[in-house]
Amino acid sequence: MQQIHLTPRAKILMMLMSGCLVILLDSPSALLVCFLASLTFGAVLKPTLRQIRLLLVFLFFTTWGLIYSQAIFYNASPRTVLLTLVPPEFPFIGEMTGGIRVYREGLFHGIVQSLRFNTTLTIGCFIIWTTQPRDLLRALVRLRVPGTLAFMVTTALHFIPVIANEAATVLRSQRLRGFRYLRVNLFATVRGGLNSFRPILAGNIRHATQLGESVESRGFSPDAEGAAHFQTVLTGMRLLDIGLLSALAACIIVILCLKVLYFCYANGLYYASWLRHVYTLTREML
Amino acid sequence: MLPIEIENLRFTYPSRETPTLRGISATVASGDFVLLTGPTGCGKSTLLRTMNGLIPHSSAGTLSGSVLLSGKNVAAQPLAVTCRQVGLLFQNPDEQLFCARVEDEIAFGLENFGFPPEQVAPCIDAALAQVGLQGFRERRISELSGGEKQRVALACFCAMQPKVLLLDEPTSHLDFRGTKDILSIVKRLNTDLGVTTILATHRTAEVAPLCTRVWLMAEGELCLDKPKDEAFSDSGPYHRLGVQVPEIPVGESARYRNVAAISRSRCRSSAGEVSRYRRADASSRSRLLSVCNVSFRYPNTDAPALKPISYEVCRGEVVAVMGANGSGKTTLIHLMAGLLRLTDGELRIGDRNVTRKKRPKPHQLAGKVGIVFQNPDLLLQAETVADEVAFGPKNLKVAPKLLQNRVADTLSRFDLGGLASEAPYSLSRGQRQRVAVAANFSLYPELFLLDEPTTGQDAQHLHQLMRELCVEIKRENRSLIFATHDAQLTLTYADRVLLLREGELIFDGPPDTEFLRQISLM
Repeated sequence: MQQIHLTPRAKILMMLMSGCLVILLDSPSALLVCFLASLTFGAVLKPTLRQIRLLLVFLFFTTWGLIYSQAIFYNASPRTVLLTLVPPEFPFIGEMTGGIRVYREGLFHGIVQSLRFNTTLTIGCFIIWTTQPRDLLRALVRLRVPGTLAFMVTTALHFIPVIANEAATVLRSQRLRGFRYLRVNLFATVRGGLNSFRPILAGNIRHATQLGESVESRGFSPDAEGAAHFQTVLTGMRLLDIGLLSALAACIIVILCLKVLYFCYANGLYYASWLRHVYTLTREML
Repeated sequence: MLPIEIENLRFTYPSRETPTLRGISATVASGDFVLLTGPTGCGKSTLLRTMNGLIPHSSAGTLSGSVLLSGKNVAAQPLAVTCRQVGLLFQNPDEQLFCARVEDEIAFGLENFGFPPEQVAPCIDAALAQVGLQGFRERRISELSGGEKQRVALACFCAMQPKVLLLDEPTSHLDFRGTKDILSIVKRLNTDLGVTTILATHRTAEVAPLCTRVWLMAEGELCLDKPKDEAFSDSGPYHRLGVQVPEIPVGESARYRNVAAISRSRCRSSAGEVSRYRRADASSRSRLLSVCNVSFRYPNTDAPALKPISYEVCRGEVVAVMGANGSGKTTLIHLMAGLLRLTDGELRIGDRNVTRKKRPKPHQLAGKVGIVFQNPDLLLQAETVADEVAFGPKNLKVAPKLLQNRVADTLSRFDLGGLASEAPYSLSRGQRQRVAVAANFSLYPELFLLDEPTTGQDAQHLHQLMRELCVEIKRENRSLIFATHDAQLTLTYADRVLLLREGELIFDGPPDTEFLRQISLM
């Protein structure tokens, strides 16, 4: 498969636009199409096997977490009980909560939410994995994101593997000094866990400071004026970028118009008989 | 006009009451190579940062006095303008490289300075040639060795063609080969291209032959500023500050060829000191650690990080693990601490067996094995030094009265009594390392593992720490294993050396002539 090269700015804009798109949509089928499209987009960027495995782990946990939590804690009406986990008469927990149940509507809502979340998560992961930190930084600055914020975002992404390694070392060193994370004394466990953050946080601050000094020593300026003055070698958007972004923008505009029309109809503000098919399409598919 | 003129420079960090720089005045002539040395925390890094404008532009604090770069005040001109003329290379290559590939890293600075694309490519090639990395353009930075990464970082500045190059401990993370490469490149830039160079380091013996001038700093003041020929005529100031004094005037490239001679000289000069820590008779001691055909391979890699190796360590023995960057020293230390799962073989620590299938949980090794990582900050998690030292024994449920005695004893052994109520992070690097060692030592581990104790340490702090550890280890009949690049440290303190090359144990024996021969070949 031919790898498609998109400019970092196009990738970021695409992620923002797809975020807007999935917020507009409510139908699971339409959201599923979006999610599959995001996977297709990722596939053309040729991820490595390790990246695919990592993405699958992310997707599994977000899907499972969102569906499970929404199914149990769904609060709106009407709601249909599918399964009772803890009956209301069960001592303490049942009496306190009034029973814990799995609701069909909650399950459905969880699916919708997880499809929304997974679409942006997939696009976001592929953007990060296929974009150089310096290109991401430049793209964010060019998109008028404040330089300091852009640098923070890029540095945070850059340091994820470093932080993971250091966190593992901190936890190991604590355990080698006899500390147990899982024990009866919950207070001590929580305090020990919180203490672990101190060296990790200190390490992050040190790395970020050092990296900040390093890029500043090579002429990068986080303030907009400096950035505009010195960053003259930005790649312009190409036809492919513009085409993809325009298509996405057109989709959003069309769906937004359809949703507005349906909203007016549903709330008795405006109705036109020749738009009946549009109302049906919006209700059923979007 | 002189490239750098420093006049009555003072700087105080926001959170500190005392100034870090206290009225420094100096000049650097065009083409000079200045060796900047001094004990840890004396202000070397701060001084370098004022020279390339990071202070005051990117760091809060109170600055007075001036640094003039070709007659222009660095504090008054934009940082990006100063950076065009002054490059600053940092200590740790992993913390300063930003991109995934070599060419992108070098292009980053050029693009920031607005070089047109057609000029960027030739500049990258020229910079890579200057640092001897032709053919590395497309390589991923994560695949490079420590020395190669540092050369890439240096290439970033070469490409920008600065007039002045500042280097902040550029070799402290590197092995002999990496150090030699970096220093020879820096010297070539200085002599061939006339780049004015200021290099801050604790490893004066390696840089002294290359420099033209020496600056010695202490407590924020420049206490010595002399040409090289006069700078080492009196070693008193260096000894007083605990700074390494170059012992033998060696030629530029001869230093590494002559490591054996230097080491033998060191052995003779410190024979008394060495004999205090060495115990010649190993046969009378019982075995503490047994490593039998142990090998290790990191996940998703083809080559093993450690090929099958076997050795034993007796009680009371001090063992050095040496080898180039990436030779497997840290992997071996982590395996001995039970932090990694063996790929094959068997390891026995005291009465505990460790195999691929059977690995004790880390907390089960508490009190048996203590480890201080290369970065001691990763161990520091308590609010005070005393709490940090008490953390381990408390987890092992040592009785309160015993605990109190043990903490007091450990603090006094490592000269931390006066810092007991201080926050570990407010201390200097040398002090933090001592706290990390003390925090492990308070568990009274039978096997003490120390990974690269020399990183960022001045000679005084380093020897103080090693002396204390060796005395205690010998007295209590425990064992110390330390990984290092420093042959002198090994010769002074180790009873035995394990020399690794590409994951293979190529030498296991006392630090004698054969060891010196092996190390001079590396």
